Amino acid sequence: MRLISRKTLLLFFLPGAIFMGAFLIYPIITMVIDSFYKIGITGNRTFIGLENYIHAFTAGGFLKQLKNTLLYIVIAVGVETAIGLLFALFFELNYKGSKIIRSLMMTPLMIAPLVAGLTWKLMMSSSFGIVNELLTRIGILSNSSDILWLADEKWSLLACCIADIWLTTPFMMLMILAGLQGLDSSMLEAAKIDGANMLQQVFYIKVPVIKPVLLTALSVRIIDAARTFDIIWAMTEGGPNSSSETISIIIYKTLTRYNDAGYASAMAIIFIVVLVAFTLIFMQSLWNPKKKIG
Amino acid sequence: MKGRWEIGKKIGISLSVILTVFWLIPYIYVICCSFKPGSEVVAVPPKFFPQVFSVENFSGLFERMDAASFLINSLTAAVCSTVIALILGSLAAYAIQRSGAKLSTVLVVLVLCLKMIPTSSIVVPVYELICELGLYDTKIALIIVYAAINMPFVMWTMLSFYEGIPTTLDEAAYMDGASSLQTFKKVILPICKPGLATAFIFTLFLAWNDFLVSLLLTSTNAKTFTVGLAGFLSAYNLDLGPMCAGAFLFSFPVMAISLAAQRYIVQGMTAGAVKG
Repeated sequence: MRLISRKTLLLFFLPGAIFMGAFLIYPIITMVIDSFYKIGITGNRTFIGLENYIHAFTAGGFLKQLKNTLLYIVIAVGVETAIGLLFALFFELNYKGSKIIRSLMMTPLMIAPLVAGLTWKLMMSSSFGIVNELLTRIGILSNSSDILWLADEKWSLLACCIADIWLTTPFMMLMILAGLQGLDSSMLEAAKIDGANMLQQVFYIKVPVIKPVLLTALSVRIIDAARTFDIIWAMTEGGPNSSSETISIIIYKTLTRYNDAGYASAMAIIFIVVLVAFTLIFMQSLWNPKKKIG
Repeated sequence: MKGRWEIGKKIGISLSVILTVFWLIPYIYVICCSFKPGSEVVAVPPKFFPQVFSVENFSGLFERMDAASFLINSLTAAVCSTVIALILGSLAAYAIQRSGAKLSTVLVVLVLCLKMIPTSSIVVPVYELICELGLYDTKIALIIVYAAINMPFVMWTMLSFYEGIPTTLDEAAYMDGASSLQTFKKVILPICKPGLATAFIFTLFLAWNDFLVSLLLTSTNAKTFTVGLAGFLSAYNLDLGPMCAGAFLFSFPVMAISLAAQRYIVQGMTAGAVKG
């Protein structure tokens, strides 16, 4: 029996669809059109075909930002997953008060990315930042101005990654903990009897069990890391010398600072297409829409 | 053998406590800084704990920006947009989940794709649209834009909740002569309260924490707290004290709520991932 007719489906979907259509789909359509034009500051438009797209992939285009975005994803998500897994294994232990500790650990989850960025900017300041002071005290740095986290091209992207890692490792940990709940304890017992050591238990039993959850968490994080804006904007605004500029940042800058709506639209369209393609490919292997809708 | 296990567990426990404290350091540092006198925040070399306790930074915060009205703007925009997104999103998701039509599969995929769109890349056409509608720098603009961009998230969360509700309930209501809307309101929604709570808290935080949309769509009247806070960035070092006070003030309710409603947050984060 069909519970909801096609007409009701459309009727229920319509109010939400109007919102999403106006502020999500319409902007994309506008951008697709804009991306074929050269748009001046005054709004005069000249049709230039695919030139904006070609420009994006040539020197002076967004190849540097593409590299930064990929680096950001690899560093931030990689470290988050490793630390998240490690934390989850520790936090899996049940003892008196373990719930409180777990709750406290998860508090950064909901903090605004902007606030996280501001916090780390303050902590990584070269003169009055607590990070360099600490590194000097324990003897890693000889002088607190040895590493200019935010002003040195070598370090700026890494500095943003650190803030991201702080903010989202709890998410990874949470997902992995949720996955570990599906673990059948008799499997672990059996492995213990067979003499598997701690590491073998982790990599041959726990990791395979949490694999589906881990993959979903990874895909969510990869996309979120790719579109990070607030953290980087708060910490470096993409600088110095574009060293921490990611695609999100360059699109925003091209629009608001260089007033090149056509080129920015082309970059945005490429970005959206890549993210959507990634999502669909990734999800297809994990998740079958037909199965979901019974 | 047992003894070794006990020692291992003790090490694990102490490590998890140490890791937690370590992870909270940035936050504790911001709290400490907000209660330092302004000059101590930028003292060289920096001290972790305040040497003199002071609320100077909080009074500085309210002097330098209209913090109270920014907070009210943030709250109004977040709450109103969340309510809209929740009502329309849960209704739409219900229709998609329950109708077996081929169209609904397409819609699910569409929702998923919309959820992945980076806000930074669509804000400018949105800005132009809002200007054309004459809504620039109004709370209404923030409310409708937040409602729209957070709706796919609400739908995605609700889809996984509806899935857990047996369709026999709908069928029973249908037999009793209820219309689809009545079934949704009287039968499905009451069961979905935990799902709604999850979606509510998440969407509320997404809107409350937003920076980019408000940065572009507001200037003075409807400016939200995050944009006000970012204003301290370009200012001189002297303003870092008030900035910390602002960050603390802004995040404290979030942390308090997320501790109290942790069950829902955990559910929201793992929705769809575990059941898959």
